[in-house]
Amino acid sequence: MARPASLTHALKDAGLAAAVAALLALPMLGFRLADTATGLELETRLSWVPIAAAAVFAGRLLLNLAGPLLARWADKSLAGKPKLATGSKRRPLIIGLVLAGAAILLPLSPFGDRNILDKATLVLIYVMLGWGLNIVVGLAGLLVLGYVAFYAVGAYSYALLSQAFGLTFWQCLPIAGVMAALFGLLVGFPVLRLRGDYLAIVTLGFGEIVRVILLNWASITGGPNGISGIPRPTFFGLPMAANSPGHTTFAQFFGIPFSPVQRITFLYYVILALALLTNLISLRIRRLPVGRAWEALREDEIACRSLGINPTTTKLSAFALGTLFAGFAGCFFATRQGFISPESFTFLESALILAIVVLGGLGSQTGVVLAAVLLVGLPEWFRDLQQYRMVAFGGAMVLIMLWRPKGLLAERAPTISLNKGRG
Amino acid sequence: MGNAPLLSVENLTMRFGGLVAINDLSMTARQSEITAIIGPNGAGKTTFFNCLTGFYKPTHGRITMTPPEGGSLPLHAMQGFRIAKQARVARTFQNIRLFAGMTVLENLMVAQHNKLMKASAFSLAGLLGLKSYRRAEDDAVEKARQWLARIGLESQADLPAGSLPYGAQRRLEIARAMCTDPVLLCLDEPAAGLNPRESQELNDLLLDIRRQNGIGLLLIEHDMSVVMRISDHVVVLDYGARIADGRPEQVRQDPAVIRAYLGADEDEPLPAVIARDLGEA
Repeated sequence: MARPASLTHALKDAGLAAAVAALLALPMLGFRLADTATGLELETRLSWVPIAAAAVFAGRLLLNLAGPLLARWADKSLAGKPKLATGSKRRPLIIGLVLAGAAILLPLSPFGDRNILDKATLVLIYVMLGWGLNIVVGLAGLLVLGYVAFYAVGAYSYALLSQAFGLTFWQCLPIAGVMAALFGLLVGFPVLRLRGDYLAIVTLGFGEIVRVILLNWASITGGPNGISGIPRPTFFGLPMAANSPGHTTFAQFFGIPFSPVQRITFLYYVILALALLTNLISLRIRRLPVGRAWEALREDEIACRSLGINPTTTKLSAFALGTLFAGFAGCFFATRQGFISPESFTFLESALILAIVVLGGLGSQTGVVLAAVLLVGLPEWFRDLQQYRMVAFGGAMVLIMLWRPKGLLAERAPTISLNKGRG
Repeated sequence: MGNAPLLSVENLTMRFGGLVAINDLSMTARQSEITAIIGPNGAGKTTFFNCLTGFYKPTHGRITMTPPEGGSLPLHAMQGFRIAKQARVARTFQNIRLFAGMTVLENLMVAQHNKLMKASAFSLAGLLGLKSYRRAEDDAVEKARQWLARIGLESQADLPAGSLPYGAQRRLEIARAMCTDPVLLCLDEPAAGLNPRESQELNDLLLDIRRQNGIGLLLIEHDMSVVMRISDHVVVLDYGARIADGRPEQVRQDPAVIRAYLGADEDEPLPAVIARDLGEA
């Protein structure tokens, strides 16, 4: 796309794209099953086909003509910078602090209504999952396609423990994390000797196995009906409810009238704290020997072995830490929803989390936030678009890959620097 | 030549299916000596290195390491990373294997992984930012700085290793191997692709390492000017078997070596060009 295309070439290319679009549109847009009074009927709307072809033709033509210009602009504005940002070491820190400050102040600001907070909580769950997966995929370079399985382990750990033994959210949070990490070790141990595509396929399979077990082990997991009535977290033992027999509620304790916003705000702060903890630990561990070894393993495993680094334990530690955070996030998900079922843990979720990590720029913490807002937040806000939502989603992904093929923020900051001390 | 033996290889054989890559090889490498392994292409030199550093499991034979502090370690029965960690055998690769996306300094820090892992109490002390870990990290940086000064890359410390020129990458790989505190350093064609000046610098660096660090060096090399000038001891392989073993000037005149390199009959005179090359070296 970057080479200067002549007009005829651009037209020819756009024509080809339009032909493909027409071919695809014929079965997908041209025919439709309509639910009429007499039953299902096939409805033809062939007029949609040329419209689709024309739209693709125009779009492709525009892209062909404007593409080189855009590429040059993107080069100049973003990609042209050196790969390692050495001069502006303080900048990412400042951006991070500003973002964290804005997130902390959000419920107090005039924007912080119930709706926004609820969506922000959802985005933060994905930010946390993205940061967790970033350790495994971004730092250690292990392509894991079944991350949601560990999220599910965390969620079901809490749901089942609270039902069977009446444990509270705060008691279960560490247990859920440890359970997920144990599952991570269990899967990781035989699997981590595989590389790249093989590892991806096996973890994809594991993700499906977990979902199918949850679906079929009905006596324990409730099967497709899931588990409902999962208790909400308490504020140092004070339940966030209108009234709670035998307990002083949060509102009563502080002598303020109860409002559901309090609970939503509280949940928002809980996930914010969990996400920031994830971020803090991953930022810090990246600068430790184990973090450097993860990155080194991603770059060259054979060289690592020749330097005396044990590849198995090093990879396992990345796997365990990444899955630990998935377990925490799963535990929070269960308590927020109050209801979980295998439907929440499909492959699509794994793909979404991976997309957040990849689009954000592998290894970039701020990139994950940006991508999570883009991929989870925006579709939530644009629910009014209904079925076109997914088209917009796909379009956004294509655009990002076109202009930022290495992800939104692909810079890698050195973990240590000779002349300025610790990086 | 009174140095203590460091590495002894006895009857080493490596088979890949029907192919015998190394055939009943025995040799010794000594402390504070540079031992060169030469031979025509496909003679089994790199296979030998891969057996030595645990990337291949030998079919037969023993490889024993006798570190200066005593004891003996059977390398043929150890996992690759343990050979580097416990037997302290470091190596470089024929096609450079740096961590290209990481900085020069980070490459040298990764090499000190095991020492730093212990200091960081397997990340706990590091996560808490304890002083003991900070001190260990500072020491590691200092060690890296000294090596960077030694290979003349101090000013490029914060650049990605992949962006360095070829010759600098070769030197960095040697410095990285040395940062693991080895007692035996194995170099797989360190002079490949270097120009005469860089090749000379490499000679100086290797001699310097032998003198200052007092470790044994094992060297695979095609460049005869490097081999003849710096090695104390040369082992010649052909078709996986040892055909000569001795001081460089002995090996140079060995008829079997000349035959292996030239494929010529023993009595046939050497072509003038080659005779001159061997003589010069």
